[in-house]
Amino acid sequence: MNFWFSVFRQTGRNLRQTWTTQFMTCLTVSLSVLIFSFFYLIYLNMLNAGDKVSDDLRLVVYLEEEPGPEMQEQLRNKITQFDQVQEIKFISKAEAYSRFAEELGDNRDVLTDMPTDFLPASIEVTPLKNLRSLNQIKLFSEYLATLPGSQKVQYGQKWVERFYYFTQLLSIVVLLSGFLLILTATFMVASTIRLTIFGRQEELELLKLVGATNNYIRTPFLLEGVLLGFMGSLLGLASLYTLFQWTLRHFSGAGFLDLFTFTFFPPEIICTIVILSIILCTAGSYASMQKFLRI
Amino acid sequence: MTETTASSRTAMIEVIKVSKSYPPNVTALSDISVSIASGEIFFLIGRSGAGKTTLLKLLCNMERPSNGLIEVAGMNIHQVTGNKLAKLRQKVGVAYQDFRLLTDRTVAENIAISMEVSYKKPQIIRSRVRSLLAQLQLEDKHDILTGDLSRGEQQRVALARAVANSPTLILVDEPTGNLDATSTAQVMELLVRCSKSGATIVIATHDETLYRHSTHRVMKLHNGTIASLTSGNDQGAGATGGGGDEI
Repeated sequence: MNFWFSVFRQTGRNLRQTWTTQFMTCLTVSLSVLIFSFFYLIYLNMLNAGDKVSDDLRLVVYLEEEPGPEMQEQLRNKITQFDQVQEIKFISKAEAYSRFAEELGDNRDVLTDMPTDFLPASIEVTPLKNLRSLNQIKLFSEYLATLPGSQKVQYGQKWVERFYYFTQLLSIVVLLSGFLLILTATFMVASTIRLTIFGRQEELELLKLVGATNNYIRTPFLLEGVLLGFMGSLLGLASLYTLFQWTLRHFSGAGFLDLFTFTFFPPEIICTIVILSIILCTAGSYASMQKFLRI
Repeated sequence: MTETTASSRTAMIEVIKVSKSYPPNVTALSDISVSIASGEIFFLIGRSGAGKTTLLKLLCNMERPSNGLIEVAGMNIHQVTGNKLAKLRQKVGVAYQDFRLLTDRTVAENIAISMEVSYKKPQIIRSRVRSLLAQLQLEDKHDILTGDLSRGEQQRVALARAVANSPTLILVDEPTGNLDATSTAQVMELLVRCSKSGATIVIATHDETLYRHSTHRVMKLHNGTIASLTSGNDQGAGATGGGGDEI
């Protein structure tokens, strides 16, 4: 009989003897993982959605006068002085008129008596995708407003602000639920292992007296922590995946969810959550052993 | 006579000027010195509270002496720690007065524990357990929870666990306290067999029948001090207690 065989036997025996406590702990860990990963999944999907929104995000600078080629070059230089941008496009008054007419479609008759230069010329600035933070967009729009000849800058400010406030709120919720995961996983496992140690104190003392090494006594408890972390995180993630699939089936095809493609965690994030959970539960187990295991 | 017997073989246990006190000021043992040879059967007698169990606890490193030195197999057992201590304990089998059985485990599981910690193969463990149970007339108790056994049966299981791992030193505290004459004889036969295969055996007992006609050394404790240490031959001549070599 080798070390690991003995350790696995001991662990199996422990789990059989205290399976109700272990099961409840496993459920608590899985619930924490579920709560954390639920918010994290929403957060990641919102970030992806944010990427898509920023694809369409343009800052429109309305100008007092239509700039000549030289002026256009000067403005282009001034804009790129602030930051690199993806695209700068000058829209003449005539182009603005034809776009507007096109947008009106069948109602373009309303423009019949209007002069073709009644709309202002403008510059459409498409920021780079990394120019996503609200502060930067705000700063950028403020900078564009100071350009010579600039009348007004528009970029769907309210929508963008709401969107970013929402993602900021989500990031706080993710942090809080992550903290909750750390607390529950560590303390619940620590408390379970403590109960197991108290329940088996007599046996542990006997093992020590008949010559069991410290590793022989300790490793099963660490293994229990590893198992609780592994099973708890798998159960939590599996529940989330079921919830995710149910949501997709019932809410896709219409409304808000149709705007974005919702995706589940990639394998590397799943592995990270499982490993993190294992580490936390093992740490809880280790802390309890250090404190209560008198060997 | 005593010196000759003890020094003719290598000493398994050396106890030199050992004292043990408990707070506030209870002296359990005072200035005990004795040498026990390898393979010897050694009796420790005395009234309740004389210090027999305390001395056994010191010998198996369950407690530390307040003063003095204890060596087992040439090692100061109170300075050995970690894996070395574990290895040493695997070589020391102890049958406790209160048995220390796991009452929610079967007889076989209790006996197997001492072999499992030294990673013996499962088939060796199974066969050794069956053999010990047969020697102690407990074959039918193999799968019974030790909590369901009588005191006498529990006592024999505790002894079986102590000798299961073939230790080189066996410490037995009151091995026959709850046993009838037949079971007592079986227990002594088992201990003698262990001794013949090289184990040193220290038996703490009240039971005069165990040592009265034996040829082994007997140390009598009184109020934590050695009242007498008699050679086996003196015992055989009927010199119990003060009749032996006084220390």
